[in-house]
Amino acid sequence: MKMNEQSTNKEAVDLSKVEKVLEKYKDVRGAVIPILQKTQAEYGFLPEPVIDYIAQSLNMSAEEIIGVTSFYAQFHLKPRGHHIIKVCCGTACHVKNAKALSSKVREKLKININETTEDKLFTFEEVSCVGACGIAPVVMIDEDVHGEISPDKLNDVLDDYKKLGV
Amino acid sequence: MKTIHLVIDDKPIIAPEGTNIFQASLDNGIYIPGLCYHPKLSQFGGCRLCMVEVTERRTGHRFACAHPVSEGMIVKVNTPKVIQYRKSVMEFLLAHHPLDCPTCDKAGECGLQDVTHELNLFPGRYKTVRMDAPMIRDNPLLELNRNRCILCGRCVKACKEIEGVGAIDFQNRGIKTVIGTAFDRPLECSFCGGCTAVCPTGAWQDRTLGFKGRPWEFNKTPTICPYCAVGCTVVLNTKMESVRRITSDDYLGINEGNLCVKGRFGHEFIHSPERIKTPLIRKNGELCPTSWDEALEYVAKRFQQIINEHGGTAIGGIGSEKCTNEDNYLFQKFCRAVLGTNNIDNMANMKSPALNGLIYESVINGMMLASMKEIEHANTLFFIGADMTEAHPVAGGMARKAIRLNNANLIIANERGVQFNSITKNDIRLKYALGSQIILINALIKVIIGEKLVDLKKVERSTNNFDKLRSLFNAFNVEEASKITGVTREAIRNAALLLTKPGNCCIVCGKDIEESPLGADTIRALMNLCALLPAYNGDAGSGKVSLFFSRSHNNSQGVNDMGVVPGFFPGYVNINETSNKEKVEKSWGVKFPDAIFKKDHENVIDLALNSKLKALYIMGENLIVNYPNGKKIKEACQKIDFIVVQDTFLTETAQLAEVVLPAATFAEKEGTFTNMGMTVQSLNKAIKPVGDAKPDWQIICSLAQKMGSHYSYVSPKDILTEIENISPMYAGINYDRLKRKEFHWASSVYNKNKSTKYTFNIVKPKSSEIKENKDFPFVLLTGASLNHQGTFSRHSKSLVSVASECFVEINKKDAQVLQINNGDKVTIESAQNKLTLKAKVTGKLSERTVFVSEDYEWVPVNILRDRVHTPVKIYKETV
Repeated sequence: MKMNEQSTNKEAVDLSKVEKVLEKYKDVRGAVIPILQKTQAEYGFLPEPVIDYIAQSLNMSAEEIIGVTSFYAQFHLKPRGHHIIKVCCGTACHVKNAKALSSKVREKLKININETTEDKLFTFEEVSCVGACGIAPVVMIDEDVHGEISPDKLNDVLDDYKKLGV
Repeated sequence: MKTIHLVIDDKPIIAPEGTNIFQASLDNGIYIPGLCYHPKLSQFGGCRLCMVEVTERRTGHRFACAHPVSEGMIVKVNTPKVIQYRKSVMEFLLAHHPLDCPTCDKAGECGLQDVTHELNLFPGRYKTVRMDAPMIRDNPLLELNRNRCILCGRCVKACKEIEGVGAIDFQNRGIKTVIGTAFDRPLECSFCGGCTAVCPTGAWQDRTLGFKGRPWEFNKTPTICPYCAVGCTVVLNTKMESVRRITSDDYLGINEGNLCVKGRFGHEFIHSPERIKTPLIRKNGELCPTSWDEALEYVAKRFQQIINEHGGTAIGGIGSEKCTNEDNYLFQKFCRAVLGTNNIDNMANMKSPALNGLIYESVINGMMLASMKEIEHANTLFFIGADMTEAHPVAGGMARKAIRLNNANLIIANERGVQFNSITKNDIRLKYALGSQIILINALIKVIIGEKLVDLKKVERSTNNFDKLRSLFNAFNVEEASKITGVTREAIRNAALLLTKPGNCCIVCGKDIEESPLGADTIRALMNLCALLPAYNGDAGSGKVSLFFSRSHNNSQGVNDMGVVPGFFPGYVNINETSNKEKVEKSWGVKFPDAIFKKDHENVIDLALNSKLKALYIMGENLIVNYPNGKKIKEACQKIDFIVVQDTFLTETAQLAEVVLPAATFAEKEGTFTNMGMTVQSLNKAIKPVGDAKPDWQIICSLAQKMGSHYSYVSPKDILTEIENISPMYAGINYDRLKRKEFHWASSVYNKNKSTKYTFNIVKPKSSEIKENKDFPFVLLTGASLNHQGTFSRHSKSLVSVASECFVEINKKDAQVLQINNGDKVTIESAQNKLTLKAKVTGKLSERTVFVSEDYEWVPVNILRDRVHTPVKIYKETV
């Protein structure tokens, strides 16, 4: 139960939310992905007990569910931060030294890829292309696109978010 | 089925439509390298090795496993381009596979190694990158080395499709893909070992092998598993007269290479240090080692003495559900002809005395004609009172195959919820109230007759007594039945609808029915149902209805076939008919005294209890633990002066004996077992008997010799020849043919009695009443366990390490009231005795029932019981 230690949620996992989702898809076959999407929307990520509960309800093994969740980048098994930092590492951004941006995040927030800061404020991810190559290098924070950004500028942007807090 | 003509490597081939090129080649002896395709699993197409060139029809380079055959197709397996392609694929696979073959137990039987060798591969062009993932050893039986894994997915499919567990799956994506459990939790599965059997590399390994030998050093002897009644073929891997591991063979026997945890890992008892290696004789109250001569002489002397003083009928005999047909045949012959007693029996018959007759009736009426393999071809599966997952796991795999390939429907009816995982779309579970099974079956019949789900005119023409049955059902009310059984009307109706769908219907009647107080009537009602089903309406189609009766042990069927019962000579020949008696007398060259067949309606144990037995000869049965009334059997044994036990271990029963004779295990002898599908299969001797142990038939021969009867059998072959002559049922079995092909006695019996018309049994709907008992408010249910079965599994340390604790299962609600949590120590107490076990809280059981498995031999649950549904009370132990 490594996961439980990590997800030091304030409250124990409330299964009523996933129950509601499952109720909606009760009679639909082949609905694993929509169920997982709706559930993740409720919890912010997919906690271990929730996965077990879904598996049991769908008469599948937890392994099969994990097979799905770990395949798609859209599913998260660890709690995520309030703001998601996506550093674009597509070809254009790479050429424009996206690596330096990643290092900046790492060094400033003291987290690695796919990790969340201790205060749960930021989660750091690298993505392949956000489709804004014209303004490379690009960093997306939540839904905001920050184009032609330098490590220094990124530093300031992150500070702004920090000030904003949760 | 439509057939397709094609040519593979210049060889003209005919294959059924829908077959892929890989399978068509395999069936015709043409080799295509492939590491992910497996005939018994669904197609995947992941390893990319089976590329072939199609030069006619859909020309181009195709993956053989993913491409169906088509008319006129011409396939070339080994063109230069194909070989070049395969080599590059292998280079990629080997770029991260650690070439640690010298320390890998799989070397020598490794698919990856074989393909590498065959393609003449030299060091590849790529820089090798090793994963250096740690070995996963989170359970005692299986280990996973992800470095060696080539992600062929066979283990994932075997686990899901055959075992129905799905304990492992692919995780992540791309280069990071691995096989594993959710959240990397320890493997939690049925430990069937199917993953090791299908793994083409050394990724999954049998941990119990652990460097005990290399594959090429082993002598491989196929033989029959000594546990449950399915009768799987196991391959004993032996080296220097010892069994090192068990593997399976996809092409032998009825099990397609599938085994359960007992079959694959339960072999360590053969070389257990606790085996009895010499005869033991009681001197000054203690069992001391002695020679065969002294032991047998003493037994002969005592038997003779008792015969002289009290007559042969003062000796009782208990045959074995685990010994071969030959052992049991000789046992009853010895008891009847030499000792002069008909007070013989076996545990299966003592637990359900009416079953033998009913099984024979079903065979004659053509309901019980199918071999176990037919389950795979079913379109509808109906398990009633049967716990397939725990009791007959490999037959459960066959059912899952039917579900996967034929879209079979599934109905499971039981008095407690049983686990059975499958992917079927129609899965009906009928959990009926304790003891109400006849009402449930009659409710199904009522719906079928009432709604004319079958052609009733057809039924009337082909059976007797249908009018009477029909009039009986006039007054039957399904609504009321639903109330009594606790099964909803819709569920009953849906089940009836599925059962009357045309196609093959396999019905498995389980132990919970056979051993229940109303067992005989329930089976009669079930036979009525079976007689109704095949009369499909109009031109709806055709089908076959096959009934199976659960048997517990490997030869529970055989011991009864061989006549180790008071009522029958071998082959269910009625003992009370003079002509039969004379025939046997002539064949055996003896004259039975009239006294021995005197009917006194008492079974062996009752006779002993009434002090009518002076001696008891027990072969391969732990009576004290297995008899379903612990108090009674203990008292009975205390009243017997002289007990002889012939067994492999010093069981609780053997400890009471005056003489213990060491018997050989299944690996050390030849003979035949009969499974619950009436299929007779032959054993092969893999090693010499351990210590001074001898096969049971040899011991009986020597004992007969000492008592002045000369049995001149040289091998079990001679005994089988005699069985063939004496029992009409086994006529035509032929030992030499049996080595190549199994023998199915039900069909040979049916063919002789073909014209029999089924006569409906009039079974009044009734349920066995379970009285409310204030002192003992719970009902104790017992059943089989996947991980254990009797003496053998108890002495197999792998099985004990997987399941070391026998739990008492209790319903969630009751547990809440009694404040019992998982793992709490709980005492179950009946009027007879009490037992303290750890609790397991489950949602499977009905309220006011508790469940304890009877297969953990060291947990003698039978000491609590005095009937099938023993009332008990349970309470939490305070520390």
